[in-house]
Amino acid sequence: MLKLKGAGKIFSTPSGNTKALENVNLTVARGEFVSLVGPSGCGKTTVLNIIAGLEQASSGKVYKEGREIMGAGPDRIVMFQEPALFPWLKVVDNVEYGMKIAGVPKKERREKAMHYLKMVHLTRFASHFIHELSGGMRQRVALSRALAMDSDILLMDEPFAALDSQTRSILHTELQQIWCATKKTIIFVTHNVEEAVLLTDRVIVMAANPGRVKKEYRVYLARPRETEHAGLVRIVNQIMKELKEEVEKVARSEYDSGWTLKKSTFLLSPDSNVGGSI
Amino acid sequence: MWEGVFRTGLWPDYLFPSPLGVFHNAVEGFQDHSFIIATAASMKRVLLGYSISLAAGLSLGLLIVACRFLDETLSPLLLGLQTLPSICWLPLAILWFGIGEDSIIFVVAIGSVFSISMATLGGIKNVPPIYMRVARTMGAKGFKAYTSVVIPAALPTIITGMKQGWSFAWRALMAGELLSPKDGLGYILTLGRDLHDMNQVVGVMVIIIIIGLIIDKFVFGRVECSIRQRWGLNRA
Repeated sequence: MLKLKGAGKIFSTPSGNTKALENVNLTVARGEFVSLVGPSGCGKTTVLNIIAGLEQASSGKVYKEGREIMGAGPDRIVMFQEPALFPWLKVVDNVEYGMKIAGVPKKERREKAMHYLKMVHLTRFASHFIHELSGGMRQRVALSRALAMDSDILLMDEPFAALDSQTRSILHTELQQIWCATKKTIIFVTHNVEEAVLLTDRVIVMAANPGRVKKEYRVYLARPRETEHAGLVRIVNQIMKELKEEVEKVARSEYDSGWTLKKSTFLLSPDSNVGGSI
Repeated sequence: MWEGVFRTGLWPDYLFPSPLGVFHNAVEGFQDHSFIIATAASMKRVLLGYSISLAAGLSLGLLIVACRFLDETLSPLLLGLQTLPSICWLPLAILWFGIGEDSIIFVVAIGSVFSISMATLGGIKNVPPIYMRVARTMGAKGFKAYTSVVIPAALPTIITGMKQGWSFAWRALMAGELLSPKDGLGYILTLGRDLHDMNQVVGVMVIIIIIGLIIDKFVFGRVECSIRQRWGLNRA
């Protein structure tokens, strides 16, 4: 079980302090698949980094299984928005990297690496170099590298944001299958509400200025889920409505209050006669 | 073309030698082994000096990165020392080591050490932070993170610095061998100059260029090419 207790984060810059997070309380049970959504700049990634131990919370504490988290560790693997694979290593060596650091014997880690490469359907490319792969393939390698560490917590920071929609939907299916098979705790950060509802069991909506948890939605839908499913669309719309307010607020503050969201319900285009020919 | 310019007779042959003359001189030099002995002596010095500067430069670079205080104090100093031509070290070298082998090797080492350590420093500082973040979450710390991520990531820049260091080492060697009492390419060069034997001077220059090309092609070129291949830098 993972627990954030009153976590806050203040970034100090020469031009003053920014309150990125304030009093974030969050409990994630073992094996849960949770997502964090929110407008840009609401501190989703900061929450993830604090859990990962890559950043230190300015206030509050983070516990894992009752023990306080101090610094990064291989029990909480992060998958970043960019693949961040090492270009000097072959695909399979990249997947093996974490195990090599952990001191797993060569034969065992090769077997394991191939196993996880198989999970993302990339065994054919095991001895290729990173630059020889496409963007989607690289992200899949990054996924198998993260899985190969066999950590109980997987932290994903908008891992599919930079991919085209076809590749992304394939990876969505794969990730759901992998989660069902491995039963890892996954915390998934995204700005895409549909993605969040599609993948996770609990969607946590965050608000900005300062970043905090606004609302939580539980998603009770059978897997594998599909984006067209009516129940899914309904939840997405609910969350979108909640988010819209937040996004508007952020936009207003960023555009110096000269910004409003248009209230019109259908598009008024000058060359449309709206059914005038009936 | 060279021969053609020579044939115009614009300059006397003690100012502008002919390629044929240079060639004959080189053949003679190789036949009486004087060129071979000189090249061997020079190679020995440059390799020894370069190895020392490689070891010192790399460890200096790594040390400076590891310690912030050193970075703030030593980095500007290194930059200043790098601009200093190696021949400036000559008087000091003579005072410290006397005229002879040691002082030449010292000048070679000091001539190339700063560019190597600057490149190491710069290469490591420019490693994308995301690699370090990955390494940290994968449980790599301290020395292990250094050897498994930082150094491989910085290697392309370090190799460039080593290459630069190699050419600096040669320049320093030529300066250093001005004090050589008996052998080395720099010695023959000076001898040729003193005897107005331009054929010999140009011959030595050609030998130095050829050695440089060979080393670049077979040592640095190979390493660089394999790194570029790995990183996918050869694809325009």
